[in-house]
Amino acid sequence: MSEELISKKELLDMTGISYGQLYRWKRKDLIPEEWFIRKSTFTGQETFFPKEKILERIEKIQTMKDHLSLDELASMFSPNVSDLQITKDEIIKRNIVSESVMNLYLDVEKGGSNFNFSRLLEVYVLEKLLQSGEINLEEGKMLLQVLKEAAQQIKQKNCELIITRKLGVSSCMILVNTEAFYFDPGTKKVIQLSLMTCMEEMKSKLL
Amino acid sequence: MNIQSKGDLVINGLGSSNGGQFNLVKLNGRGTVNSHLECKKLECNGSGTMLGSVMADTVKANGNARFKENVESQNITVDGTAKFEQNLNTKHLKVSGKATVGGKVKCEEMNIHGYLTVNGDCETEIFKGGYRFTIGGLLNAEQIDMKIYGECKAKEIGGQTIIVKQHKGSFVGMLLKSFFKTQLETDIIEGDKIELENTTAKIVRGHHVKIGPNCQIDVVEYTEDFHQDRNTVVKDAKQV
Repeated sequence: MSEELISKKELLDMTGISYGQLYRWKRKDLIPEEWFIRKSTFTGQETFFPKEKILERIEKIQTMKDHLSLDELASMFSPNVSDLQITKDEIIKRNIVSESVMNLYLDVEKGGSNFNFSRLLEVYVLEKLLQSGEINLEEGKMLLQVLKEAAQQIKQKNCELIITRKLGVSSCMILVNTEAFYFDPGTKKVIQLSLMTCMEEMKSKLL
Repeated sequence: MNIQSKGDLVINGLGSSNGGQFNLVKLNGRGTVNSHLECKKLECNGSGTMLGSVMADTVKANGNARFKENVESQNITVDGTAKFEQNLNTKHLKVSGKATVGGKVKCEEMNIHGYLTVNGDCETEIFKGGYRFTIGGLLNAEQIDMKIYGECKAKEIGGQTIIVKQHKGSFVGMLLKSFFKTQLETDIIEGDKIELENTTAKIVRGHHVKIGPNCQIDVVEYTEDFHQDRNTVVKDAKQV
């Protein structure tokens, strides 16, 4: 998965932001450190960015910075929201998760009705995939198990969720900081979902 | 942090203690704190070693202080020498003596009147002073207002306003001037408004660029305006 890169100069031209803004956003952790890719060119060293990701991120910042402070934005983009607490009713009322999926989740997990961040993410991912009809109930249960096991990693790192099927048998995995992966031709990839994006979506619903 | 009711830890002479939560921690002789320390005020007057991480409202290093793990604080003042082997996270950092940081520095306001060495990146809103400093990574600040005195180095500098000036120096400094050069060495400087003196850089990119005396710049790329002093070398300047 080699991504298309964009140089810093092109980026500033395209988006119309200044060096000051770019460095400020970097300082506030709105743009992750890993996106700054240093490469040497014939004019010396230049910084490049993954094109798609950075353009999307800058657009988001630009549209939201008018009604949110930079610190609020930063907490939205950063994956570790430690002290979030929300109740089951609140989640349903805000339309983050539908009632039927919520009941299903509680049925499988047998936890309380107060949700912290990891549990909210689990139920949100379940909702997203079940509602889109991409996975079935059994796969949903398997998914929850994997999410629970990797909960610590998910909070801190860039994780991706993959569900595959081969000869009618499905399996579910979470990849941490992956660059690329390959399967044999008989395996069908059903779902590839960046948990980071999920968290952002979820947070924008919460705010 | 609710540590109002906690006791104090004072080490006079030679001694060591485990960490924990305290109101005031004072190391006057040769003190060692063996584990994580949380306190309101940490004062190190002799030679102190903190083996665990430190969370404190104020940290004052008057003698010789060593921090083996991360340090988090509101105010850090270094009047003697301080060595932070990991990352440093604070609101205000004031260095009048000598400070060395092994990892990254994250801070809001930095006042340097001594000697600062940072191995990693250095992120701050305001960077002021800076008699001598070495930064191994990127110096990223909203406002950089530095007066250099001696040899200064930073791998990259980025921010909104970047002003580099030569410090006027004292009488003694005048006498010693021929022994060391006052120069800032860096690869890249990028900012909206840039004013430089006594700087050696490969690339300078900005909107408003003003190159003062005693500079050696390979390439200047500017968008709005560019001004160059007579006693300076700019190999190539282009508007983009």
